[in-house]
Amino acid sequence: MPQTSFAEIRTLAGILEELDYYQVLELAPDAPTSAIRAAYHRTSRRFHPDAHRDAPPELHHQVAQIAKRVAEAYSVLRDPRRRQVYDRQLEGDQARVRMPLAEAEAQADRQRRDQHEGRTPNGRRYFALAKADLSRGDRASAERNLKTALTFEPDNAIFRAFLQELLGRPAGAAR
Amino acid sequence: MVAIGIDLGTSNSCVAVARRGRVDVLPNAYGEHICPSVVHFAADGSTQVGQQAKSRAIHEPEHTIAAAKRLLGRYFFSEEVKKAKAVSSYQIVEGANHAVRIKVREQTLAIPEISAFVLREMKTIAEAQLGQPVTQAVITVPAYFNDNQRQATRDAGKIAGLEVLRLLNEPTAAALAYGFGKGLTQRVAVYDLGGGTFDISILEIGSDIFEVLSTCGDTFLGGEDFDDRVIDLLADEFAGRHKINLRQNRFALEKLKAAAEQAKRDLSIDDEARICIADVANDAEGNALQLERGLTRAEFANLVADLIQRTFKVCDEALQQANLTVRDLDGVILVGGPTRLPLIREAVSQYFQCEPKADVDPDQVVAMGAAIHAASLVGEEKDSCLLDVTPLSLRIGVAGGLAETVIDRNTPVPIEQTASFTTFKDFQKSVKIRVYQGESRVQEENELLGEFEFSGFKHARRGEVRIDVTFEIDTDGIVNVTARDPDTAQAASTQIHLSSGLTEEEIQAIVEKHQPAPAEPAAPAPLSAAEAIAALPRLAPRGPVAPLPESELLAAPLVAEATDLAADALDVLLPEADAGEDSELASPLPDDRDLAVVAPDVESKADDPGALFGAGVEFDLDVGAGEASEDLELAPADAGPLGNAAGDDGRTLAIGGEIDLETSDMDAPLDEEFAAGDVDLESLALDEGALDSLAALDDDIGGAVDTGVAADDEMALTRPRHATAAAGADAGGAEDGWFGDPGVDLSIEPGDDES
Repeated sequence: MPQTSFAEIRTLAGILEELDYYQVLELAPDAPTSAIRAAYHRTSRRFHPDAHRDAPPELHHQVAQIAKRVAEAYSVLRDPRRRQVYDRQLEGDQARVRMPLAEAEAQADRQRRDQHEGRTPNGRRYFALAKADLSRGDRASAERNLKTALTFEPDNAIFRAFLQELLGRPAGAAR
Repeated sequence: MVAIGIDLGTSNSCVAVARRGRVDVLPNAYGEHICPSVVHFAADGSTQVGQQAKSRAIHEPEHTIAAAKRLLGRYFFSEEVKKAKAVSSYQIVEGANHAVRIKVREQTLAIPEISAFVLREMKTIAEAQLGQPVTQAVITVPAYFNDNQRQATRDAGKIAGLEVLRLLNEPTAAALAYGFGKGLTQRVAVYDLGGGTFDISILEIGSDIFEVLSTCGDTFLGGEDFDDRVIDLLADEFAGRHKINLRQNRFALEKLKAAAEQAKRDLSIDDEARICIADVANDAEGNALQLERGLTRAEFANLVADLIQRTFKVCDEALQQANLTVRDLDGVILVGGPTRLPLIREAVSQYFQCEPKADVDPDQVVAMGAAIHAASLVGEEKDSCLLDVTPLSLRIGVAGGLAETVIDRNTPVPIEQTASFTTFKDFQKSVKIRVYQGESRVQEENELLGEFEFSGFKHARRGEVRIDVTFEIDTDGIVNVTARDPDTAQAASTQIHLSSGLTEEEIQAIVEKHQPAPAEPAAPAPLSAAEAIAALPRLAPRGPVAPLPESELLAAPLVAEATDLAADALDVLLPEADAGEDSELASPLPDDRDLAVVAPDVESKADDPGALFGAGVEFDLDVGAGEASEDLELAPADAGPLGNAAGDDGRTLAIGGEIDLETSDMDAPLDEEFAAGDVDLESLALDEGALDSLAALDDDIGGAVDTGVAADDEMALTRPRHATAAAGADAGGAEDGWFGDPGVDLSIEPGDDES
């Protein structure tokens, strides 16, 4: 296992709270899923508590802190759903670099659901109207309602996909 | 300094050492590499361990302890202990804190003490073989062992005079022994069917890295269950023929056990086994009867088919958890004596669609892996990085008998998670935190790891106190929980340590008792459970299971009826909160105040836009009949904030003038208690989510909600409301705020953490 210097451990432990999961695993934010396990292995080799049993006792705690954060980062980033939620959190105004696992899980579930039906009451309502329009074949009204739904949830990928499909579809094609 | 690896098995144990690139399984003085995990207590006060002890079982079953591992870390009231009591000839009694004790020759011994006899034997074997003292060891445990069982194993190590360098999961140890030094890159399954437990782990093996992708198991399934089936067959047939129940005769039962095990072994080699027990019983006239019977492989296969199928169900689960199918695997490693059975080998090759790895000794591979890791930990051997996972979800008890997930199973360890809570009552002095392991949302269906009380935080109104609870699982899979008030920096830390039933002092006492060797110490007087609880109030586990709060029994049908209208549902739920509180206060144990950690965000799979409160008001409220209990359980959760909103004296919470939620009763019992000066209502509440929910409802209906929350109450929230602060409407919630998820618009939905 590559030896990691004590200075490196101290430095990393010192700034751990400021690092996001990508930085912890030394990954680019757009790293492919396949790179995440390799990064976890690489980082674990360097910071696993077993590799530092001989370190001065005061470093044991710091190594453990790093190892725990590495596992946490891996737990979030290896799961594409959790990772998506985390990425959105990182882009947010209040950039938070950590995300409780249970929250990541719950939010990933909710996000999946919200994307389907909308997360705001108005988004849901207009989306439902648009779907009803489509089933009746009223494409113009569906388009209006979808656009309205999108004003409430501009980032809803499902809404957008629906609209694109609607606009792109040749007239007369039934859903 | 040499460090050894010990496979402490249910039926057999094994010790190995790794030196200079070689791994040796160490034989005892008789040249045996495998030592039965059996301890015999002789009349002269001496003890025997291993084959000698096992052979005593037939003559002196009540003084011979086998399969103690099945009892390790169990509560006395657990199913496993009940089962053991039914089949064991030795006396199993209840000790302090619902721990299990064994009474043998006037001594009362804790289970870790029994296991320590076996470990000490392993240590002695190693010392004799190596010609030097041995004090350090890696001990293996079934991967599916919970924290209680791991703690008990570690205690056993301490009692045996060993420094336990690491508790290593058995399948991980097997994979290490298999892959060490081979420079492989493979994905393998380790199918570990031991005497008493079944584990399956899926691992990715690299040149110097062993990552467990998932692990699942069944601690109630092992080779001894196979024996039991044969015993059942023999005893039933005998009873049919001679009208004599052999099970009631201790000696006959031991003979049956031995014969069944032998028959099982014979079937590993031969197609048919002969079972012959002379003098198994006497008939009414006093004539000796004998039992004779053949057992074919086919018959045996029939007897145990369902047990084998059970293991594959667990395998399915493990593969699913790892997001893999059998086709993604490069092979399967068989571990444990029972996997020698051709029956099992065939079933396994069929399931995994490949032949099991041949170059692995199923009885020794675990000890060998433990030895390799022990050597690497003391610097004798090249390091391999073992990345393991936690086999069970870690949960915290919340109001109404639910347990919320904090750390999912199969999360890599070491890991740490922090969740924040606030107090439930004004000027609350302490809170009680209960920690569970298991996969159920219902507290009682999980294993209680322990509960601890946290006090000394800020003296303040409800909601003003913030308590950070940190859960940690270390590389041994052992759970640590600490609570902290970030304002006063008051920290209460506990390494949850309960169910071996041994405190640090007790372990010390036992160690000392065994140090001045032969002098047989007086047996400690067994404490009654009540005495023990009195002695250890802060560590006392709750008892078998908290009785179901009356509220649950009463309310379920009510909630079920309320599926149509959210308004109805709320009317039902709110009084329910009251009932819940009552029952919590009426807790059976003295001084046992119920924890009411409240989880406001309980998400549901079913998305069922609920009833409408008038036009334009959308109100998600899932009260599907099937989820009645979940909804019901939430009642206290909402009671907190709504109680806040209503004020102490039962003001009315009005929502848009359309519904009145009378909340007066809800707080009454609590306040009475408060007034009586007993403020120690051990409860936590997290009202933020629900307050946010109210706010969200408020938004939805254009500000028409009069929550009745006094301004200063609102100020009293422990954390800023960040419902929409973060980008992406729902990506809110401070890192410590997941419990009070703000993204809920008054949705009352069951959790989805099982997905």
